[in-house]
Amino acid sequence: MSEQQRTEEIVKPDLEFVKDVIASGGGDLKKCYQCSTCTVVCGMTPDDKPFPRKEMLYAQWGMKEKLISNPDIWLCHQCSDCTAYCPRGAKPGEVLGAVRKMAIQHYSPPSFLAKMVNDPKYLLVLLAIPTIIFLFLLHIQGYLFGEIPRNEFGKISFSKMLYPTFYIDPVFISAALFAVVSFVMGIKKYWADMAKNYPLPPGSDTTTSLVETIKEIISHNNFKKCNVTKERSTAHMLVFFSFIGLGITTTWAVFYLYILGRPSPYPLYDPMKIVGNISAIGLLIGITLVTNNRLKNALKAGKGGYYDWLFIVVIYVIAVTGILAQLTRLADIAPLAYTIYFIHLVFVFFLFAYAPFSKMAHMVYRTTAMVFARQAKRQ
Amino acid sequence: MDKKLALYICSGCGIGEAVNIEKISNIAKNAQRIPVVKSHFALCAQEGVDLIKADMANEGVNTIIIAACSNRVKTDVFNFPGCIVERVAVRELALWLLEAPEDIQLAAEDYIKMGIIKAQKSELPEPYIMETVKNILVIGGGITGMTAALKCADMGYNVVLVEKEAQLGGFVNKLYKQIPTTLPYKEPLIVDTDIQSMIKTVESHPKIKVYKSSKVEKTEGQPGAFDVTITTNGSSEVVKIGTIVLAAGWKPYDATKLEHLGYGQFKDVVTSIEFEEIAKKNNGKIIRPSDGKPAKKVAFIQCAGSRDPNHLPYCSAMCCATSLKQARYVRQDDSACAMIFYKDIRTPGRTEYYYKEAQNDAGVMLTKADVTGISDAGNGNLYVEAENTLLGEKIKVEADLVVLAVGVVPATADDPIINLQYRQGLGLPDLDLYNGFADSNFICFQYETRRTGIYAAGCVRQPMNMSEAVEDATGAALKAIQCAEHVAKGQAVHPRAWDLTYPDPFMQKCTACKRCTEECPFGAIDEDEKGTPYFKPNRCRRCATCMGACPERIISFKDYHVDMIGTMLKNVSVPSEDDNPRLIVLVCENDAYPALDSAAFAKIKIDRAVRFVQLRCLGSTNLVWIADALSRGVDGMLLLGCKYGENYQCHFAKGSELANYRLGKVQETLGRLQLEAERVQMVQLAIDEYNQVPKIISDFVERVKEIGPNPFKGF
Amino acid sequence: MAEQAETSLCRVVVVGGGFSGLTAAVDAAETGAEVVIVEKNPYLGGRVAQLNKYFPKMCPPMCGLEINFRRIKTNPLVTYHVASEIESISGKEGDFTVSIVKKPTFVNDNCVSCNACVDVCPVERANDFNFGLDKTKAIYLPFNQAMPFKYVIDTAVCKGASCAKCVEACKYNAIDLNMKPEKITIKANSVVLATGWNPYDATKMDNLSFGKVKNVITNMMMERLSSVNGPTAGQIKRPSDGKVVNNIAFVQCAGSRDENHLEFCSYICCMASLKQAQYIREQNPDSKVTIYYIDIRTPGKYEQFYWKVKEDANIQFIKGKVAKIEQASGDDVEVEAEDMASLKKIKTTHDMVVLATGMQPSGATLKVQGFKYTDEGFGIEDKGLYVAGCSKNPMDVSKSAQDATGAAMNALTSGQRR
Repeated sequence: MSEQQRTEEIVKPDLEFVKDVIASGGGDLKKCYQCSTCTVVCGMTPDDKPFPRKEMLYAQWGMKEKLISNPDIWLCHQCSDCTAYCPRGAKPGEVLGAVRKMAIQHYSPPSFLAKMVNDPKYLLVLLAIPTIIFLFLLHIQGYLFGEIPRNEFGKISFSKMLYPTFYIDPVFISAALFAVVSFVMGIKKYWADMAKNYPLPPGSDTTTSLVETIKEIISHNNFKKCNVTKERSTAHMLVFFSFIGLGITTTWAVFYLYILGRPSPYPLYDPMKIVGNISAIGLLIGITLVTNNRLKNALKAGKGGYYDWLFIVVIYVIAVTGILAQLTRLADIAPLAYTIYFIHLVFVFFLFAYAPFSKMAHMVYRTTAMVFARQAKRQ
Repeated sequence: MDKKLALYICSGCGIGEAVNIEKISNIAKNAQRIPVVKSHFALCAQEGVDLIKADMANEGVNTIIIAACSNRVKTDVFNFPGCIVERVAVRELALWLLEAPEDIQLAAEDYIKMGIIKAQKSELPEPYIMETVKNILVIGGGITGMTAALKCADMGYNVVLVEKEAQLGGFVNKLYKQIPTTLPYKEPLIVDTDIQSMIKTVESHPKIKVYKSSKVEKTEGQPGAFDVTITTNGSSEVVKIGTIVLAAGWKPYDATKLEHLGYGQFKDVVTSIEFEEIAKKNNGKIIRPSDGKPAKKVAFIQCAGSRDPNHLPYCSAMCCATSLKQARYVRQDDSACAMIFYKDIRTPGRTEYYYKEAQNDAGVMLTKADVTGISDAGNGNLYVEAENTLLGEKIKVEADLVVLAVGVVPATADDPIINLQYRQGLGLPDLDLYNGFADSNFICFQYETRRTGIYAAGCVRQPMNMSEAVEDATGAALKAIQCAEHVAKGQAVHPRAWDLTYPDPFMQKCTACKRCTEECPFGAIDEDEKGTPYFKPNRCRRCATCMGACPERIISFKDYHVDMIGTMLKNVSVPSEDDNPRLIVLVCENDAYPALDSAAFAKIKIDRAVRFVQLRCLGSTNLVWIADALSRGVDGMLLLGCKYGENYQCHFAKGSELANYRLGKVQETLGRLQLEAERVQMVQLAIDEYNQVPKIISDFVERVKEIGPNPFKGF
Repeated sequence: MAEQAETSLCRVVVVGGGFSGLTAAVDAAETGAEVVIVEKNPYLGGRVAQLNKYFPKMCPPMCGLEINFRRIKTNPLVTYHVASEIESISGKEGDFTVSIVKKPTFVNDNCVSCNACVDVCPVERANDFNFGLDKTKAIYLPFNQAMPFKYVIDTAVCKGASCAKCVEACKYNAIDLNMKPEKITIKANSVVLATGWNPYDATKMDNLSFGKVKNVITNMMMERLSSVNGPTAGQIKRPSDGKVVNNIAFVQCAGSRDENHLEFCSYICCMASLKQAQYIREQNPDSKVTIYYIDIRTPGKYEQFYWKVKEDANIQFIKGKVAKIEQASGDDVEVEAEDMASLKKIKTTHDMVVLATGMQPSGATLKVQGFKYTDEGFGIEDKGLYVAGCSKNPMDVSKSAQDATGAAMNALTSGQRR
């Protein structure tokens, strides 16, 4: 028992928080009767102060501070082993998922945006923002109702539609900056809260933990401990590395454009193109596997909520529109190619700008929690 | 009845090879003067039975001694109604338990000789018939009592229902809602009670007479003929009653003893009963007593008084489900929450479904906890202070209302209720063994109390919920009817329900020593003003403890009496050699004897020294038998009976214990003969401990050998 | 009271000759009804016949069974059919037609239990009475205190006429290898379903490794291992190597209170494990017992039984359900749980592990035609069709006895209502 638990502690149940968890996907939370089957079958939990049994209780009592500032909620990879074996159908995996979502909302400023991302009512509003931005940019070039010119080879060129340097990059750089700022603020607060509740051992080193954590993320070793939903780590790995591939592609493209001064389109045999296309296909396969796994395991692991599916759908749209934009461009179907590319841009914006509030944020918060946990000797 | 005896010796199962049947036949014919003696290869086969039947028809045989196997097998085959049938277990006791051919032969001779004596001294029973009524008295008009009353009345029995309150319904009257009692036990979670319609049915039933605001002042007489005085508002009435269902119910544990939980100190600490009243009074709205504000944070403290060595040492069984129900009352206001602090949630069986459904609500919160106290939170609210919780080692939780889930105290805890005018006391005996509950000691026979014709049901018997109480009442109703029917026919009830004999004392020789009245485990014998015992046969269970207790040997049953067993013992052979002792083992027929049978079947061999004699119950052991046997040269006697003490296994409750108690005084008897008291011992043997029989016997043989041969040997 | 009921006209069929069935039968018969017991096994006594002791008194089940057997033997109103099953129940309350099929046991009433047949029988079979922990011959006595005290032949393994050594050995013409099924049809006013329960199939809980890890047994197997008439003559030795058990763990709620298995609480398992902890503690003074539980459920007076067991320093209670079992070295067993009190996930190693497997109503696997059942397999009562004991609800022996008496009452009411 930690120091603070030995002294008398005032428990303040928060009914509203309980209702929020239930509404956020932890609908069966209250069925838990504290047998701790979940904790035993969990391959991720440390042996000392293990999860998720205690988190289930905190959630049942609405003990918000104990939950969202807890690194353990991110050590959970939602394998759903716990959910499959839960004798009451309380779905601890889903509950922790809901709590994580609420943690993201809690830490990533501004909080109104977090609420909007999590609420299907605001989906159109959120989509409208990039749509309007890009429409406006098309409009000022006169392309909104006019024809988009072809490049010097007479081919469709997306950089003719919105030249990266003037139109796309400023938009995405601002979106990314916004996301980074939000993330940084969120992580700072989160780290401080975690350190308050779980004091770090003196002399512990964040850099080493970070390196170890990155190694772990790349290897997916922990994720592979999942039992019931074994295939999930494969799917996740595919999506994860595809994103890395696409990240490399983007950097490469920046290099071509700004260092070599070569605007797109690039030939298909270009190594950058090859990496990009493989990554895009990988992403499509990966996200399809994710979807399949979710549907297949729905009975045992729960089917997930709006929040999960929004994230999946966004990735799907990005992958599909990316591939289609290239195909229609090569097929020289101009209106279709531009339209698809437009949609692609909107969704990429969606992914980046709203990353701190969507499920994308797990990338940052989970990494932070894992680094913290390692440093706090939780792993 | 003019008895004509016949002895049939079976030669099957190896008896024919091991035993000289001809020799035994001759002894029986010549020494014991048995007119018909026959042998057959398999008496239990149709041919063997036909042989016996032919003798019954042709020779007028009506007293049959079958020397074959144990009376526990082939019972249906050797069933000759109207005849005295005595079975001698030559196969088990001689053939299977002994080894040497000469020992088997000698044992067979002894056992057959004893069997013949038993048959000679036995008579066909004639039941004790007195004028009886079959009216059933139900004490308590709660759900248990009303159910029992309706069950009996629907079967055509007249019922007298006595309720101490001014209205029927008991605790259910106080409920705002109840837990569903029908499938699927979970939806809706709180339902209205239908006690009013039940009350109406009871009150309008032509066979049920209801006494409200009434008490049983006294109960005199015996089953079938109880005179029950019922007092209503000061006036009394005597009613003839056959049997009684005791359904006096329960009361909540006195919360003023729960000061450590703030009761009495804080207005907003209430009992679960008071909470129910609050809900009922305000139609579901939970208003706290101190300031009339709606309660939004209600804490339920489980096991308030229960499972507590300082209060009630038992679990009250109903409180967990009740608090879950009451939590749902709180949750009728969506902004309120109910917090349950439990030691273990106990919702056994399908009540688990209720737990699952009732807890599945945002505002119902549970944790295991040891609640250490209630304190003032300073803002008009209270703190529940607890340790060893799942939320932390030591916590405080704010609540605006605290509910103590108080336990169940049976009505019999401090009031005999039935007020029996029995020599042995007003109430049911052994109540202290069951913490005041009118429970049974027997796992297998839940309704058996030590007062014949009185059957307890509902929460006076054990803590239970409403549907269990209904089931319990149904069973008790049957037992009451059963007993009323049996006593009308002069037939015993459990555990000798078939028995038509009864204790028949020869009162002229009674010295009014009161041993029988004191010892009878069922309080069947009262005393008149002069102290003379007065038998109430319908209270009797036929264990014959009185027969064993009586120093004047005046209490007899038609088929079981002191002389019968005494004569049998006196006729056991006593070897003349000093190193060949003879020991007699008196065996309880209910448990120890079946254990012997099992030992025999397993072909476990025992010392040749012993001869076994079956008794109805070890309680019927009369010390004169010991004197009789030992004065004939028998070297020692062993009593094999049921385990006694707190968890006694004796079917007659006290039989083996009383036998042991009497042995404490055996020195007196043996002193006169100048014999050592150690020659007589009692050993407790359960029915499954058959593997211990050889050691018990050989240990005893060794001990007796150490003492040395009986000096009376050869006289 | 001239208009008193003539209950003797009532006839009741009791399906199941276990403790509930016997109680219902004798209580109905002793109140004047004619009763026919139909029992699937070749013996009466049912599940309790396999128990070593009853909680909380630690007394032998045969003690009460013996009394009930005697009540049957002495009561001409009771008849019973063993090795029999209900084929159909038709009609309505007060006028049921019950059709019974008596399966051949190939041993007739001439059997005197002399054991000569067993000596010559060449075939062995796993002893189902002892859950396969030992063997019997193809002709066998179900157990040493069986009622009826009569041998039976297991047709699944008997070589039949080609062998017939037992037929030759039997001097009493008790073995008839040509015995045919017999159909009996009776009229009845009411039927009491008292078909009891089966231990839940422990192999279904894959994480508890029954059947995969050596020395993981069920609580019913533990009863047999502790019984004097069991496979080890009552010496608690573990199955894999016969090692005397020194360190044992009990896994509570193995399948019970679990919507993946038995959703209800099986009522008896807590008391059963407390009882079994005492078996081992009494046999072996140095032994250690660990009981892993969610909630200890000892309602009513059973609380004191719990207290008594808790007093023993060698019996440890850990709040936390075991959810993983693996083989440790030397045939030992490792169990894994969260010790909630210390907030630690722990692994402990034991000589043997007992799964406190719950009771599944027999209706889950075998339904009696004419009765309706819940999804779990519990019988549902209807007019003239009553349910008693564990086929109605999970309960212990004393509750079964009480409940069966109530069922007898209801069954008699059906005679009244005609």
